[in-house]
Amino acid sequence: MIPDQIVEGPLTMSMDPYNGTWTQQEAGHLLRRTTFGPTFQQIQSAVNLGMDATVNSLLQINPTGLPLSYDPNETISAFGTTWINSVYPAGAASAQVHENARIKSLGAWLIKRLNTENTTIAEKMCLFWQNHFAAVLAPDSRASYQYHLLIRNSSLGNFKQFVKDMTIDPTMLIFLNGASNNVYSPNENYAREILELFTIGKGPQIGPGDYTNYTENDVAAGAKVFTGYTVDGLRSATLTSPVAIYYDILHDQSTKQLSSHFGNQTIVANGATEYADYIDVIFQQNQVATYICTKLYRYFVNYDLTLDVQTNIIPVMAQTMIDNNYEILPVMQLLLKSQHFYDIAFHGALIRNPLELVFGMFNPCDSVPNFDLVSNSDLYISIYDFCQNMGQSYGAPPSVAGWIAYYQAPAFSKLWVNSTTIKNRFDLANYITVYTGIPINGNNFKVNALNLVNGLSFPDNAIAVIDDLCTVFFPKAISAAQKTLLKFILTGGLPDFEWTNDYNAYAADPTNAVVSTPVRTKVEQVLARIFQMPEFQTI
Amino acid sequence: MKRRNFLRNMTLASLATPFALKGVQYKGLAKKLFNYSKSAEDRVLVIVRLNGGNDGLNTVIPLDQYGNLLAQRSNVIIPQPNIIQVTPEIGFHPVMTGMKNMFNDGNLTIIQNVGYPEQNRSHFRSMDIWSTGMTDISETRGWLGRYLDSVYPNYPNDYPNAANPDPFAISMGSEVSSTCQGLMSNFSNAINDPFAAVNLLNTGAVNDGTYFGSHMEYLSILIDQTNQYAATINAAANAGSSLSSLYDVNNPLAVQLRNVAKMISGGLKTKVYILNINGFDTHDAQVDANNTMIGNHADLLKKLSDAINAFQNDLGLLGISNRVAGMTFSEFGRQIASNASLGTDHGEAAPMFLFGSCINAGIIGSNPVIPSTVNSQDAVPMQIDFRDIYASILKDWFEVPEIEIQPLFEQAITYYQVLGACNVGLNELVEERDKGIVYPNPAVNNATVRFKCHNERVKIELLDLNGRQIRVVFEGDLTYGIQNIPFELEGLKSGQYFVVVNKESAKESIALTKIQ
Repeated sequence: MIPDQIVEGPLTMSMDPYNGTWTQQEAGHLLRRTTFGPTFQQIQSAVNLGMDATVNSLLQINPTGLPLSYDPNETISAFGTTWINSVYPAGAASAQVHENARIKSLGAWLIKRLNTENTTIAEKMCLFWQNHFAAVLAPDSRASYQYHLLIRNSSLGNFKQFVKDMTIDPTMLIFLNGASNNVYSPNENYAREILELFTIGKGPQIGPGDYTNYTENDVAAGAKVFTGYTVDGLRSATLTSPVAIYYDILHDQSTKQLSSHFGNQTIVANGATEYADYIDVIFQQNQVATYICTKLYRYFVNYDLTLDVQTNIIPVMAQTMIDNNYEILPVMQLLLKSQHFYDIAFHGALIRNPLELVFGMFNPCDSVPNFDLVSNSDLYISIYDFCQNMGQSYGAPPSVAGWIAYYQAPAFSKLWVNSTTIKNRFDLANYITVYTGIPINGNNFKVNALNLVNGLSFPDNAIAVIDDLCTVFFPKAISAAQKTLLKFILTGGLPDFEWTNDYNAYAADPTNAVVSTPVRTKVEQVLARIFQMPEFQTI
Repeated sequence: MKRRNFLRNMTLASLATPFALKGVQYKGLAKKLFNYSKSAEDRVLVIVRLNGGNDGLNTVIPLDQYGNLLAQRSNVIIPQPNIIQVTPEIGFHPVMTGMKNMFNDGNLTIIQNVGYPEQNRSHFRSMDIWSTGMTDISETRGWLGRYLDSVYPNYPNDYPNAANPDPFAISMGSEVSSTCQGLMSNFSNAINDPFAAVNLLNTGAVNDGTYFGSHMEYLSILIDQTNQYAATINAAANAGSSLSSLYDVNNPLAVQLRNVAKMISGGLKTKVYILNINGFDTHDAQVDANNTMIGNHADLLKKLSDAINAFQNDLGLLGISNRVAGMTFSEFGRQIASNASLGTDHGEAAPMFLFGSCINAGIIGSNPVIPSTVNSQDAVPMQIDFRDIYASILKDWFEVPEIEIQPLFEQAITYYQVLGACNVGLNELVEERDKGIVYPNPAVNNATVRFKCHNERVKIELLDLNGRQIRVVFEGDLTYGIQNIPFELEGLKSGQYFVVVNKESAKESIALTKIQ
């Protein structure tokens, strides 16, 4: 493979607003990077709306629904209602049975959002932050829900406040041992990760225990700062939600000395809010903005940090963040409206992660399950499992550093595909197009080929259908020969008008399976091939 | 990789104290590299991962600690009379008859109390540590991947190729193994069914010199490689065979191991196979409420023991047992005290098993000490670092020089001798397997007599050509199984001698030539 240093890099190093052509190509790039699989209509609307207004409409976090009880083992909260403030039954075994029911509901809720809330950047931001504060699900799904709600509510908010809230989030307190960190037995786990992974980042080691941006002594001092918090109410039969709780008696009352990297400042004992004092000190270092902006860049734009990017792009993003007191939204506005973002070099520069792959197949076809609550939920769990088999289990990142495809040089997003996962990708593509679909409680769920084709510009025109499908599914134009082949599949090798006849027969009598089935199967066959093309694997 | 340094290992082996006979049959120190297996290039390592954290204390039971164990885990412990006695100090769970046979036949090593310092009791983190062979959280490559990266730095570019037509590693199942994660790619190929045809569509893609283009090239290589590997795997699986009747078709691990035997015997050059058995996270219902000998943990151990025993039997029948060694591991053991739900919680160190006819059979390490008072959450402390075992396998089995092994790990490696003499010629020829031999033969200063006995008293004499006794080499009670008793020849003149094994059940006389 060719090394990245000889890859044709971006030409545009300007963060000024993009003012070039605004066609399906650019609008599609924006939507593919900020949502999980736009429809043709969404791309067309974005073209009509213009770049600026489209970005503004994307940068919103709308309220989302609640996880609902659907498993028969859930007996505390009624079927179809939420359990997020329900107690657990007494007894460890019964509580476990309920937890098993709730974690399924939570998983279905997480996955469903990717399928049904695809008009804003919310879910892409949520995945970014799940990868950033990469905690696994807590032993109490109510805590896991709180954690994922915090992520969603903070995802375009204030980064500094976000870190503070995350520090005393019950799931995080459990995940990185904050809950057992006290003056008698300090635990450095969270104190280390907040510096190394969550805020300022680990630089090169420049001395014993000195990682450029912080030292081992800062880790030890931070551990003392964070003492005193624990978690109460896990799987409680009386408390309706797990809570972070502070015990002053468990808190280290000493004055904590920080290193020269933090200006030799001290953190004086300040009880339950001392952690926030310390985080304020961390955020005085502009490196925090550089670190998080680099991560946003890698996630939304490209993994390759060329010298030009480090010199001309990241500092502009970081300065915007600092000027706005660590608000995330202005940075995202800057980035998504910049000339740099729309550089052709980035079109298809990332390999789709499994969630982008799966919903990049379903969402453009408006494929949303409309079975009952049980089957819809089971389907989402099933999709969750498919994604797990392809290397991405939402809610359970492989380590506190997140998924390796987001940080492991030099392969980065290539790490999403290997000999197993490529086969799993292709198998799933076949399954949901030309095979039976995903079996769910006696039903099957596959792409909705008719919805897809009905939403295109001229669905009765074979050439236009293929052009539109390429617009929806590929980040870059494919060759004329490839298009000809796709059209050959659509028409079955017959003249184009035969497709027109078939489609018009279906459009005249859409509920008649005799005329709809040929149209559906033809489109499914085209999709089966598209979904197995390397071009589709990128975004 | 360079060939084994035969002399070096001879020296190590001769460090055994030949006349410290009490318990010598357990230590396996006497096995020498007689009949040692083929070159490292032909050797295969089979890794069985016990996912979830295996309860070592109910697997390899320290009989000398039984009283204190009973006090801490009375609701899960195996009743003493039902434990399979392996040695006077060590017993197996009653379902592990297969592994007991392997131990008796010199095909099993128990490594006691394996773990790492400052045990992390999180499944994920601890499994990461066991997979990467490092406690450093930033390390993402697996221990085997790290090694393979150093030998094949360009992988997956231009693989498979003429020199390496087969996958380096195969992970049985649908996930690649994190032990084989390299920098660019994972060295393991996940195979659910080696007989399944894989024919991924390759629509072709052009590298236009952009980031997009580099992905097109990568994906195109990957699709081709997946198809090509699948083809060689397919061919090997179809060419190979399996001769053992011991595999249980209802035991998924056994079925996978049978497929591994077929691929190896069919000529696949894959060096590492990784298998997985889930369900060891026995927080509750580890045992049946009315009978601690049955339940989830018993089912798992039976699957494990039966499957590995069948596999070993198969390798012997196929005549390839000198090419295959195996290892089990789990992310941690479980706590000493059981909990109230008939289960056990996350602990620390636990035993590992090595298996194969060429491993240094016996027991490495000593029984854990169970104190009379145990605090909640107390677990078995680590005695042997798992990274030392990994390193020892690389050194002994794959003949990787120490100078290349040390940089793969964080801590200074302590090597254990994990490879011994192969039981080849015994396992492979069933009619020969019980016959006593002396090795090496001719011998210079040290030799070992190997024979099979029942639970009986055995006296071994060294006689000259005229039948005069020179000395008694050994006299004592032995347990059932293959025995290896080392002895010295120093000071004897060159010439012909006899080693006579006087068992209660039989008497064997074995000729020995002494040379200078």
